[in-house]
Amino acid sequence: MTDATQTAVLAEGVWKIFNEGQSGEVTALQDIDMTVQTGEFVSLIGPSGCGKSTLLRVIADLTEATRGEMTVAGVTPHEARQKQLYGMAFQQAALFEWRTVRRNVELPLELMGWSKDKRRERALELLEMVQLSDFAEHRPWQLSGGMQQRVAIARSLAVDPPLLLMDEPFGALDEMTRERMQNELLRIRRETGKSIVFVTHSIPEAVYLSDRVVVMSPRPGRITDIVPVPLGADRDEDTRESDDFFHAVTAVREALRGRVGGAEARARIGEV
Amino acid sequence: MTDRLRFIWPPILIGVLVLAAWQAIVVVQDIQPYLLPAPSLIAENFFGDVSLMWGTAIYTATTAFLGLVLGTIVGVIMAFLAQRFIVVNNLITPLAAGLAAVPIIALTPILNNMFSITSRTPRVLVTMIIVFFPMLVNVTRGLVQVQPVQLELMRSMNAKPRTVLRILRVPNAIPFFFTGLKIAAPLSVIAALVAEYFGGPQEGLGSRIASSAANTAYGRAWAYVVAAIITGLVFYLVTIALERWTTPWADRSRSA
Repeated sequence: MTDATQTAVLAEGVWKIFNEGQSGEVTALQDIDMTVQTGEFVSLIGPSGCGKSTLLRVIADLTEATRGEMTVAGVTPHEARQKQLYGMAFQQAALFEWRTVRRNVELPLELMGWSKDKRRERALELLEMVQLSDFAEHRPWQLSGGMQQRVAIARSLAVDPPLLLMDEPFGALDEMTRERMQNELLRIRRETGKSIVFVTHSIPEAVYLSDRVVVMSPRPGRITDIVPVPLGADRDEDTRESDDFFHAVTAVREALRGRVGGAEARARIGEV
Repeated sequence: MTDRLRFIWPPILIGVLVLAAWQAIVVVQDIQPYLLPAPSLIAENFFGDVSLMWGTAIYTATTAFLGLVLGTIVGVIMAFLAQRFIVVNNLITPLAAGLAAVPIIALTPILNNMFSITSRTPRVLVTMIIVFFPMLVNVTRGLVQVQPVQLELMRSMNAKPRTVLRILRVPNAIPFFFTGLKIAAPLSVIAALVAEYFGGPQEGLGSRIASSAANTAYGRAWAYVVAAIITGLVFYLVTIALERWTTPWADRSRSA
């Protein structure tokens, strides 16, 4: 039995069935077992309909598991949400256009009843971290897509939660911006030590960012493999061109194709 | 600034040209005033007694304003109820649509009998009913049509429904509120004016247009029409000014 307090996320036999017992019954998640250690970066990858977003939403208590045990930062997802033990970022930045960039970042703090001055101080600190200090008083629509997503990340970090849940946050960005954002995220992770669960459908993205990649498959949504990515903690642009990176990408690709274990590619990771 | 001027000059130029052509046609063709009075005759009547024009316009504008304010208040309250209670929504929507289909103006004589015809009340009521509908529809849409991802975000931040209303739905509805008001404001002037055609106090634009026309004072009738146009325009422009002032964030996507 894994000690729940040592884990950021612990799922044991989690099922999510929509319209259970009715004609349109869909098994979105089938018997999910998964652990995210504290400080670990885990990506969920798989084709559309594999349940990766649903799994993230169960962790976030945006929807409830039909069966099974889910623990988030040692408590139930519901408690974790109430205590704001996680911050969340979506594919859309979901900024409120009537608020300035700074006041968007302040939003979670406002909901928790922080004073105006403390809110402001914290928001400016976070905007400095995502390198948007100069845009604090701008409106969201004056920012590029990548900048808006940085604001959303700053907002998700506002209450300093131990866990970040990210649902394809870079999915709508162009390739160059995307890679820059990935470097930003790794830097922020190094600086803050957050545990991160990251949903994506990009193999290189999952490999570049993660300590482990959870590979999922649709109909019914289930975990088919978990691929470790032994690239170390310090990753930079050169990492993307290394053989180890290439092997890890191949291992995840093989796993997605249903070659369990991606044995050959896995062996090559093992050689490292 | 030069950009602005470039926008302003063409319509003014066209307006002047049209007026000049109008004047020329009336003079050259010797058209009788009951068919079409010359702009010069209308201007003569208008500027001949500006204080009378002003007083008359103010009377109708007051009716319109009262109806606009009351109709807006009722529309907004109903929109909040419709957003909060699905039952209310199901009840109001067909009712409001039915109300919109009724030629409200046609109710004026009835309302005149129900309430004192010598008072302003029946006219304010007509205006209010007309204003109510666009306000209800637009504000409800603004409260309901928030991005699903923004709702999820609010939920992830453990926000209660009342907080979601205050932080997300109400600010989201403000541009919709002004869309409604931009329709309702000029409409309120039309409603207040037309309601005057059905008897009652004679101080308003509608009454004066009707009586001037009946007395073959065509130039004067048209002068009141000009005053009515100006009144409607003022209502619209004040609404736009209010919108610019209260929703600076929407500057980018705004069109008049």
